[in-house]
Amino acid sequence: MSDTATHAVNMTQGDRPDRGLRLSSEEICLTAEDLKLFYDKDQALKGIDIQIPKNRITAFIGPSGCGKSTFLRCFNRMNDLIDAARIEGTIRLDGDDIYEKAVDVPELRRRVGMVFQKPNPFPKSIYENVAYGLRLQGVKNRRRLDEVVEKSLKRAALWDEVKDRLHENAFGLSGGQQQRLVIARAIAIDPEVLLLDEPCSALDPLATLKIEELMIELKKDYTLVIVTHNMQQAARVSDYTAFMYMGELIEYADTDTLFTSPARKQTEDYITGRFG
Amino acid sequence: MSSLTATTTLGRFQRWRRAKDRTARYTIGFFGVAVIGALTLMFVYLASETLPMFQGATLEPRTEYAAPGGADTRTIHLAVNRHREMAVRLTEDRRALFFRPYSGEIVKEQSLPIPEDAKVTTFSAAEPRTRLVAAGLDNGQVLAIEYEYNERFSPEGRLYDPALVYPLGDEDSALLDVDDDGRAISVVGVQRGSSGIRVAAATEDGDLKLVRFEKRTSMMTGETEVQRSAYDLPSLPDGATPTRILLDITGRHMLVGDDQGQLHFFDINNPARASLVDSKRVIGGDAAEVTSLEYLLGTVSIIVGGSDGTVTQYMLVRDDDNVNRITRVRDFPSHAGSIRNIQPEYIRKGFLTADDRGEVKVHYSTSQRTLIERQITDQPLHRVYVDPRNRLLIGIDDHETWHLQDLSNPHPEVSFHVLWQKVWYEGRSGGDYVWQSSSATDEFEPKFSLVPLTIGTIKAAFYAMLFATPLAIMGAIYSAYFMSRRMRSITKPSIELMEALPTVILGFLAGLWLAPFIEANLPAIASILILMPLGMLVAAFLWTRVLPENLRNLVPAGWEAAILIPVILAIGWLSVSMSPLIEVWMFGGDARQWLTNQGITYDQRNALVIGIAMGFAVIPTIYSISEDAVFNVPRHLTQGSLALGATPWQTVVRVVLLTASPGIFSAVMIGFGRAVGETMIVLMATGNSPVVNFNIFEGMRTLSANIAVEMPEAAVGSTHFRILFLAALVLFALTFAVNTVAEIVRQRLRQKYSSL
Repeated sequence: MSDTATHAVNMTQGDRPDRGLRLSSEEICLTAEDLKLFYDKDQALKGIDIQIPKNRITAFIGPSGCGKSTFLRCFNRMNDLIDAARIEGTIRLDGDDIYEKAVDVPELRRRVGMVFQKPNPFPKSIYENVAYGLRLQGVKNRRRLDEVVEKSLKRAALWDEVKDRLHENAFGLSGGQQQRLVIARAIAIDPEVLLLDEPCSALDPLATLKIEELMIELKKDYTLVIVTHNMQQAARVSDYTAFMYMGELIEYADTDTLFTSPARKQTEDYITGRFG
Repeated sequence: MSSLTATTTLGRFQRWRRAKDRTARYTIGFFGVAVIGALTLMFVYLASETLPMFQGATLEPRTEYAAPGGADTRTIHLAVNRHREMAVRLTEDRRALFFRPYSGEIVKEQSLPIPEDAKVTTFSAAEPRTRLVAAGLDNGQVLAIEYEYNERFSPEGRLYDPALVYPLGDEDSALLDVDDDGRAISVVGVQRGSSGIRVAAATEDGDLKLVRFEKRTSMMTGETEVQRSAYDLPSLPDGATPTRILLDITGRHMLVGDDQGQLHFFDINNPARASLVDSKRVIGGDAAEVTSLEYLLGTVSIIVGGSDGTVTQYMLVRDDDNVNRITRVRDFPSHAGSIRNIQPEYIRKGFLTADDRGEVKVHYSTSQRTLIERQITDQPLHRVYVDPRNRLLIGIDDHETWHLQDLSNPHPEVSFHVLWQKVWYEGRSGGDYVWQSSSATDEFEPKFSLVPLTIGTIKAAFYAMLFATPLAIMGAIYSAYFMSRRMRSITKPSIELMEALPTVILGFLAGLWLAPFIEANLPAIASILILMPLGMLVAAFLWTRVLPENLRNLVPAGWEAAILIPVILAIGWLSVSMSPLIEVWMFGGDARQWLTNQGITYDQRNALVIGIAMGFAVIPTIYSISEDAVFNVPRHLTQGSLALGATPWQTVVRVVLLTASPGIFSAVMIGFGRAVGETMIVLMATGNSPVVNFNIFEGMRTLSANIAVEMPEAAVGSTHFRILFLAALVLFALTFAVNTVAEIVRQRLRQKYSSL
């Protein structure tokens, strides 16, 4: 699936100068082209073009209601669940349009995993939570399951904390542990992309730190897209940052550039705390 | 405002707020406790109505006196009227004494019309309620008389003018010729027939005689004449000597006890060809003999008392060859001494036994209970009597001292055994669970097994749940999870509205329309059961795989269920219209007859009808609660599952159902509780036959329907009345147990599967 679909990057998309975006050296994983999303008659996304590089962390920042979470959910078609939502434009995963009729949505979602704002373990044991995705694929082999559960929990830096109580209810874990469990669950099915929708907003600083370390660790193998409210977090962990405002992509650049010398006034106002 | 606690500094607003808070707390607390209190009171009331049944009987000494009319002669018969205000004593020296039972004051004395030279050799009474007694004489004659209390009501109270009466006319007709040869009568038995009396007797040399005296009134002259027909019966085998003769009220059976501990059964249905059918040793020990032998009320059960103190109940039971055999039914606790007398009760299947050591026992046959065992004197007792209402017990010892005791024995019919175990009732060949609380005759044995009612309740609820649970839960999952919001907003209230449908209408429809419809269209019901799911699957396949996509797009997402409506209607119509053809083709033209030929009983009002009708009544309950449970599964869980690549169906099965399981479980249990307590539908559509089986084609009677049917006609305070309360208590306990188990399981499920 992940053959080289390296796109030539147009440095000037529309009338927006993408100063500091040096994607030419990157392998592109996800592309959005003129993506529009409507809730009935309200337009939530107003024609967004973006390219998300492979094995990097890309952060979406912006004030509440700017459409960054909605946009994130377009990448694994979670917006399909909302009856009123309608989408125009294309999103490509490794060059394939994911809104094509023939696309197998469950398979798409397997390849594009997602972690939600609030930890959402299932009311099952820790083990069964991690094994859930594999069981969906019909894996029954006990040894294979054991292997994957252990590997995923280790990758999510949770193994040492839970290895003695794998068969206890996942609700017994703390919030930070639950969020790492959910990440372990997501990577157990070996996705290509991991979408994280404000994964630390419900966590304390220490747990947040652990998740951030984990994200940096995970980008070796996965493409990570994170929505965050926390600009420090975006600055700490992401390689590229996109600033969205009112359903539009205002500025997209590598993180250092965006935070140190934003090209747009709105970006500057936002990152310096003048609104938002 | 220096201190938060100082009330003086509190403003008006704070005080007002605090007062409201307190009022709310106490009000809510009061009503909460009141609900529990009301429930407890209900339970206590039900229990208090049933408790007297299990309290047993009491016997208190009342008074003692020497026999009225002299203790120097033996009492051969004693009876007390139902108000215990007048009594009669017949003595060996041919007198009839009417007296006040509590004081012994003699009101009237009459002599029995027995010739001077004759002597009373034996004595016997017919069923107590007939007041017919017979005395055998040493001249081959038998005296048959009755006594009347002739009570009248006056402003001062009841007045009595007691007298002897003669069953066949005047005083002269009281002496009956039984043995033509004038031999002394050694044993006599008597019973009233349809138009006269029947007397059986044994002469001093052991010949058995049966004589019928029929009263005939001439149509022409209006004169009454007595027709006598005498028959000789076969003698007892092995030279045994008769000691006791019993005649039953139907005139078909005669039982003879002998001095060798045996009981003999004669078929006297046709007296001219009377035959000895069965003989059986009824007393165990070698030296033991049958000392007392008595029919219980209705003359079906025989109580045998032996010289060894044993008390045993026998009945005539048909064997495999359809021949009546003397069969032992049950034993009662033995007396230490020899049994001298057995006295049956007047209106129930109870009896009293007395022995030669002064001990009296009060027994009840159906429940196999011995309620009282009491030494009332240290002298040997030769008679024990009880009044028609079982309030006064009189024991007579060999010195003719009378021991009067107050008896209270209101509910001997009930025991755990009677309610919950197999009981061998009269006229049956073995133990069985039967509910039959009343009948046309007085001598009927009430059958109070709660097993058929409990089984019926569970059966009705089971079939209703079998019908309702899958439909309701599947419907709930579909409408909560797959249906479009608008369609759900129509469907859910509609189904919930079904709950408001009065069950009496459902019962009415089920009994008068559905039951005959199902009976007439049995193959249709079967084919609907098979074709409906298949048809839906085929329709779904056609819709999603075969039909062109632009046609499919005409139906908005979440409205797919609507296209099943014509499918369901079509399959229903097809099944019903094909029913006669299938009936001819597979069941020889009549499915009901075909079932009967397979050995399956078919009632028109059966569990199938109940399953559908009551299922209909519980569907809204189960649907509504489980729909809420499924709908309230947090979105983040279903989204989490979908985001991991689960299909909607995988999400339902693996996450939604799991998380909603406590709610679905309690929905099912609440539905079950409703089905158990439901009354009107089962009352109107089951036929109310208390059978013990799970055949779907037979009816049932449930606890609740039974209470509704029988409570209006049960005499207040009677055993029947109290057993209905007990049935209510069982129902209460059943629903209570179901709900408690449901709540415990629900809590555990919730602990396990609830999400935060």
